[in-house]
Formats: sequence, C-alpha cells, structure tokens
Amino acid sequence: MLRPVTVQPHEVVLRTKGLVKRFGSITAVDGLDLEVRRGEVVGLLGPNGAGKSTTIGMVLGLITPTAGAAEVLGRDVRVRREDALAGVGAMLEVTSFYPYLSGRDNLVAIAVLRGDGALARVDPLLARLGLAQRGGSKFRTYSLGMRQRLGIASTLLADPALVILDEPANGLDPAGQREIRELIRELAGENRGVLLASHLLHEVEQVCDRVLVIKKGKLIASGTLAEVTRGGGSYFEIVVGDKARAAQILRGLGVKDIRETPTGLDVVAEPERGAELNRALASAGLYASALIPRASSLEDVFIELTETEATSAPPAS
Amino acid sequence: MLRLLRSEIYRMRRRWMPWIMLGLIVVAAFAVYFLIWGSTQAQIELLKSGQARPPGAPTEAQLRETLVIVTPGRVQNFGVSVVSGFGSIMLIVFAASHVGTEFGWGTFRTLLAHGASRTGFLVSKALSLLLYAAILMLVGTVAAIAGSYVVSSIGGLSTASGVNVGEVVQAAAKSGYTFIPYMALALAIAVWSKSAGAGIATGLVVYFAEGLVATILVSLNKDYAQIVNWGLSRNASALTRTVSSGQGGPSTQDPTASTLPDPTQAAIVLAVYTVIFLALAYWRLRSRDVTVGG
Repeated sequence: MLRPVTVQPHEVVLRTKGLVKRFGSITAVDGLDLEVRRGEVVGLLGPNGAGKSTTIGMVLGLITPTAGAAEVLGRDVRVRREDALAGVGAMLEVTSFYPYLSGRDNLVAIAVLRGDGALARVDPLLARLGLAQRGGSKFRTYSLGMRQRLGIASTLLADPALVILDEPANGLDPAGQREIRELIRELAGENRGVLLASHLLHEVEQVCDRVLVIKKGKLIASGTLAEVTRGGGSYFEIVVGDKARAAQILRGLGVKDIRETPTGLDVVAEPERGAELNRALASAGLYASALIPRASSLEDVFIELTETEATSAPPAS
Repeated sequence: MLRLLRSEIYRMRRRWMPWIMLGLIVVAAFAVYFLIWGSTQAQIELLKSGQARPPGAPTEAQLRETLVIVTPGRVQNFGVSVVSGFGSIMLIVFAASHVGTEFGWGTFRTLLAHGASRTGFLVSKALSLLLYAAILMLVGTVAAIAGSYVVSSIGGLSTASGVNVGEVVQAAAKSGYTFIPYMALALAIAVWSKSAGAGIATGLVVYFAEGLVATILVSLNKDYAQIVNWGLSRNASALTRTVSSGQGGPSTQDPTASTLPDPTQAAIVLAVYTVIFLALAYWRLRSRDVTVGG
C-alpha cells in the first residue's frame, strides 16, 4: 500500500528529525526539525542561502542528509524513497521540463511515471491552472509564469497528501500570484499538507497557518503567524531615554515581551493598553517622546530575526 | 521501474532526434548502394568507351566483381557493414544525448522529484537505448536490403540468389552487439560530466582513435596484439569479422585480422566493458547530490 487506507484529518505528512547537511566545511542545514500536517500550509522562510532548497532536496531524496531523517507519511525517505514520494507532489525552485514536448505531453510523461490514475488528471489540471489553451504548445515557448503553472500542475498529478512548493509565485504577475495563493488554500482545504518555501513574505502571510524561519540552516523561529508576529501583531514602539528603567516599570504591569531598539523599546501589548503604559511611565518620571501603536508584519519579524541572527553570529574565520 | 521505462519510451517517441536518425540511416543505406553502383558503373562505361586504363586501376572484370557486393545476396556483408558504420556513430551520439540532455535540461531532477529512482533512471535509459539500437539496426538493414534490390534492378544485376535472411540477421545482431559498450561508455561519460557533448566526444574519440592506434601498433609488431586485444575495437572487429570472413566484406581487408581475439572471448570482453561502464555510471548517480540541474 502506498497510501494509508484511513486518512486522518491532522495526520503528520512530513516530519524531519535533526536534519543536517554539510557540503564540505559549509553547514547548509543544521539540525532541522519540522512537521507538516494534513490541511495546513506551512511556510518555510529564510533569506537566500538559508537552506530552504537543500531542506526540500533532502525531503525528496535528491540530497543525502549528513545526519537526521525525513519521513513522509511515516516512511523514511532514505529507506523507502519511492513509497514515500508516491504521496508527494513537488515543484522545485527551477521548473524543468522537456523543451521539445508540449506542456500537456510533459504532464503525460510524468503521469505515466506516476501511474495510479494520474493520466486522467492531466487535462483537468491543465484547465485548473489556466493552461488548457496552451497545453499543446511546446514547453520551450512558455513564459516564466506558464512554466510555474505547469510545475504546480505536475505536483498534483499524483493526488498527493503532501505538496511541496519552492517559490511557486516566481515570475507570476499579481493576478497570477493571487490565483496561486487561492490554489494553495484550496489544496489545504482538500486535506493536503502544503510546505511552501518562499521569500515573498506577504504571500506567506496570506496563506500560511504556520511559519518556520531558518537562517544558515538553523530554525530560528516557528509557530503560527500570530505567535511569530508577536501576539497577533500588536505592539507599541516607545521612544524613551532610560530604556532599562522603562522596561522594569512595564514588566511590573505584566508586560512580558519587551525588546530594546536603538531609540527605545518595542513592547508587545494590546492596543487598548496604550494609555495605561504611558501613565505608568509618566508616574515614574519617564516621559516618552512617542508611544506609537504598531502592527508587526511578518516582514518586520523576518527582517528582525534574520538581522539579529546575522549580528549575533560569530565572525567568519 | 516499468512505469519509468514507459515514460522514457513515450518521451523518446516524441523527440525528433531518433526519428531523424532513422531517416538518416535509411538515406545513408540507399545513398551508399547508389554511390557504389554509380561510381563502379561509370568506371566500367569509361573502360568500354576505350579510354586508357590508368596504371593500377581495376580491370572491367574486377569492377564487375565489385558490383556483386551491391546484390541482395551480399547484404549480410556489405549492407550490414554500411549500416554498422553509420549506425555506430549515430548510436554513440544518441546514447550521450539521451542521457546528457536530462542534466542539461534539469529534467533528471524533475524525474527524481516525481518519485523516479536513480536505479530506475539508469535502467530505463539503458533499456530504451538498447531498444532504439535494435530498431535502428532493423530499419537500416531493411533499407540496405531495399537499396540492394533497387540498385540491382536498375543495374541489371542478378537478384536470383535473394537475401540470406539468417545470415543478415546474424550479422546485424553481431554488429549491433559491438555498439553496446560504446553506447555504455557515452552514457557513463554523460552521467559523470552531466553533459551530452562530453559523452559524444569521448565515445567518438574512443571509437575512432582506439581502433586506429590498435591497428597501427599491431601492424608495427604483432606482439602488441596481446595488449590491444583487450581494448574495445579489436574485440568488436573480432566479432564482425566472423560474419564476413572469406566473403569479401570490408573487414577482411584488415591486415592484422589474423591476430584478432577469439570471437567468444571478444563477446565476453565487450560485455565486461559494458558492465563496467554502466556500473561506473550507476555509482556516480547513486553518490551524487542532485542540486540544480542534476
């Protein structure tokens, strides 16, 4: 059996345990643990060279891990690769197909390889991805956006439990990007797990249930969007002179998440607590030059996390 | 594995290159028959017209004897050797291209990402190449037979002896067998270098240069045969020579033919080479991390 008979709604479809990949002296992925469940979209974020594509390569058995393991539907990819990948549809960062074949023929070639009724899905998928009109054209004549769509169509030929998309919106116009976002949500709605590697943070913000932020191969943040963007995204930027004392006072009010900034503090608190915080500081003789309610976006957090990591990293030898 | 082979054949059928090569082998077979007949006939006409025969040039009787090789009864010698000559080059080019382009296009990575195994990839490539080699030899041989009948009819040559199908099949099979290690070499180099061009270049250089060097060495000193007889070309020659021995085929003109290896040994040596080349390709495929492209 390639797929479980009983589909569990929140079954873990992908799990990596301590995944490590070293290329010579360079550690591309460093002890990565991640999980993707059915029905959720997990964003894999990181700057260029963070190890996103290497991680995906290891999940697909394209790259041999130095240590650790990846399991798809409970099957170790290194031990039972073909069984494991029978339930996976993957679109890689560089979409490669046979240039001399039409888009449709490329899908047929993959469908023949996939078996299990994949051939019957070719035409419906071309229609679903808006390629029905150009399905007969040679792949080499396709625009970048069309290539991406064909890549996404190919991931669904196997009716997968896990869909892996590496930068799927590359080359798409805004309308195309929106269609892809809608499609990704539809896939999750069909009880598939989706792992989305992207550097388009607004895209991730709109479609992902959870995000994983990696930098230099290490997981530096993970959780739901609300968790990663600090308590649902509401915080105050307080411009104040004595940061240490101000932080002490605010902690006395039960505020836990306080970060120092060059001009003062970023304080995670509900928007309605602004007056209370201001009053407490003023009562202690600390007058804030500004107290600005802000909503942190994933982009803010991403940049902060990756820059923090960069500044705290040891100097290169 | 079977699904990957089916996918391979599906893709191969839709590629221009194999069809063009089949067309070329047909054209080449016909063209060589017409050229041999046309040039020989022209020389005969010149002699008939009373023009003086240059010193060393063949007599009319010798030319008429030469014409016999284009008759259907000699297809197992001449026709098959023509098809082998062109076919071997085409198959080396095709083998390297069949594998190397997968890396150039990045489709090797795509296939793996869709569940294909590396072992399956190599096996399906090797089997589809074997199938194509068999088809090319079949089509080429049929074209040679057709060419011999057409030319014989036009030239008024006797077709009464007909085609000795058994000998033709045997000759074609042996010739086809000798291509396999060269194709395996081209495939292995294409895998190692991830380049069709490198596979083509290496395959062709070995095909032409090794045979040439071996012939020169044995011509200089027959003792060298003990060394070069472990190479590809001498073993390939040993197999094809047994087909045409004593019947005027081109390979009997090899002055070093007497030092060629035993045909059975030759078949084993060629098989061993094939296994070694495929094993090297397999080892490289297994051990390589597939990043961008392959």
